[in-house]
Amino acid sequence: MVQARQRITIHPSPFYFPATDYLTGEDTVDVGILLQILFWGIYAGCIYILLATGLNLIFGVMKIVNFAHGEFLMIGAYVTATVFYFTGINPYVIILFSMLALIAIGAVVERLCFRPILGTGKLNEIFLSIGLIYIIQNGAAVIWGDEWQSVKSPYEGITVPLGPLTIPLDYIIIMGVTAVILVGLYLFLKETKTGREMRATSQNRKGAMLVGINVERIDVLSFGIGCALAAAAGTLWVVSGQVFNPYMGSIPAVKAFAIIILGGLGSIPGAIVGGLLYGIAENGAAYFLGGVWKDAISFIILIIVLVIRPTGLFGESGE
Amino acid sequence: MNMNLKKDAWMRSITIGVIAIAVVAPFMLFNLYLLNLLSLMLIFIIFASAWNLLAYSGQGSLGHAAFLGIGAYASTLIAVKSGISPYVTIFLGAAVAAFVGILIGLTCVRLKEWFLAMVTFGFAIIVQTITVSILTPVTGGWDGIASPRLISPAIPGYQMIEYYSILAIAIASIVFIWYIMKSRIGLAFSAIRENELEARAAGVDPVRYRLLAFALSAYVAGIAGALEIHHIGYITPEIFGVDLSFWPITYVILGGLGTIAGPVIGTVVLTVIWEGLKMAGFTFSRYIIVGIILILTIIFLPKGLVDLPNQLPKWQEAMRKLRGKITGSPEKE
Repeated sequence: MVQARQRITIHPSPFYFPATDYLTGEDTVDVGILLQILFWGIYAGCIYILLATGLNLIFGVMKIVNFAHGEFLMIGAYVTATVFYFTGINPYVIILFSMLALIAIGAVVERLCFRPILGTGKLNEIFLSIGLIYIIQNGAAVIWGDEWQSVKSPYEGITVPLGPLTIPLDYIIIMGVTAVILVGLYLFLKETKTGREMRATSQNRKGAMLVGINVERIDVLSFGIGCALAAAAGTLWVVSGQVFNPYMGSIPAVKAFAIIILGGLGSIPGAIVGGLLYGIAENGAAYFLGGVWKDAISFIILIIVLVIRPTGLFGESGE
Repeated sequence: MNMNLKKDAWMRSITIGVIAIAVVAPFMLFNLYLLNLLSLMLIFIIFASAWNLLAYSGQGSLGHAAFLGIGAYASTLIAVKSGISPYVTIFLGAAVAAFVGILIGLTCVRLKEWFLAMVTFGFAIIVQTITVSILTPVTGGWDGIASPRLISPAIPGYQMIEYYSILAIAIASIVFIWYIMKSRIGLAFSAIRENELEARAAGVDPVRYRLLAFALSAYVAGIAGALEIHHIGYITPEIFGVDLSFWPITYVILGGLGTIAGPVIGTVVLTVIWEGLKMAGFTFSRYIIVGIILILTIIFLPKGLVDLPNQLPKWQEAMRKLRGKITGSPEKE
């Protein structure tokens, strides 16, 4: 109750600090600054894109809403940090390990928690996610402690000059990794048999059952892949040198939801556009309005969009 | 018919029993910590009931702390600026919360379940941001401001008076919500929740009733927030936190969604568990246990603890069948 309130609080968004770090001291707005904001926006957007794509995949196939998705990002971040701490190998390689680990964790969560309540009403899924948030956040706090932590990237301090900008090498690698993951996911969904089965299930679940697709297997798989994408986002979060703690996941996850509402449910291009838009809008707001507005601006955009179009920007059915 | 009458009589005696316990409890305790805990529990019962009323109309809010906080800030500011007694400003502050509730309800009424959940969640964050940025001159920003106590601490035994005031307001709020749920309005709420199209066909205007649900729920939540803050004596923007938005949901789901007794039972049971675990020395793991309880409730007891008497025989039956299967004895009916 009252003691409880002091435990989980909304921490300032970790995206907050690159903007202030680099921008304080500048007193004029010129094209260089605007480009810089644009660039940070794209970089922040990468993490949102991965989260939102994972959510989209899960929603498309299972039609469930997992508000605890950000907790998988947090676990991914901690798995990466832990493996890095013990082995010291390049954190960009650990991304594969954390994705695999999260596929397994996601499959367990799907099997134990979401399958029993599939089809019992939308509100139940939201409430169940709240239970998951409690368990995962504080489980991580028990294992790893609840302090803010960070990991040093091997490429820290290396920058690439690009016109008027100086861009940290990490940001460029992160954008590249995100692009590779998205292309990989696209090829997987387009070319493999399992990917085609997934798309079939998301289009028509009953029809997929009729033609002999094991939809429960597809459920587990898509939930696992969705979690793996969140883990990739978590890893990228860690390697870019941002701080993390067990409670960091909720806000990015809710923003990812806002993104898929904007970009249209089940639409991966929509998630990419929405993610970039959000990243840029946030960094712009943090620069022009002040850091506290960073989180609020995403929800203000969301509310404005929903007032105009209750089904989202590109959403057709709105489920 | 006879069964129903019997059940009603049971319910009445249980209700009277609970109220009697609540009235005599302070005399049995002689412990200010427990008395404070009881007061907070009563406040959370009001809050959970308010959330429950909104959920009764099919709208699950993830940001109800917004109304808690708006009621608290409004009541505090009115009391500080005008010098009116907190007993009056509680209801004025709650009216402000209800007004804001209507505004946010206007954006929400056309939305589906989890779009609405998103908007309400975001709304709490927006309100918090506004409180610490634009409104800092009035609200004190992150540092918060002092709030007048319900009863001045100079009066001897003020905790007792405070407890009974909160108890009276809590009972009044629950009766108010009970009255709404049993009236035509409540009927319209559940009609909208079950099937909006049919409700519309039967002449119920969903937009109007959803707005009404938002206003009433925000009003009661505002009362809870104002009470809590006047009880504690200090207010900070932490009151808009995610944590306070999630607690009423946990309480109501555990107790029983859409019932009068649900929020009360859920709050009492969970508070007892929570404090018990605290005494046993748990910290983070308390939340893990609460989360497990919540998930188990959703899966195995979808109607909450209120439904336990109906579920127990079924479980016993299932256990018997299971045991019969294991030992291989033939089943007899």
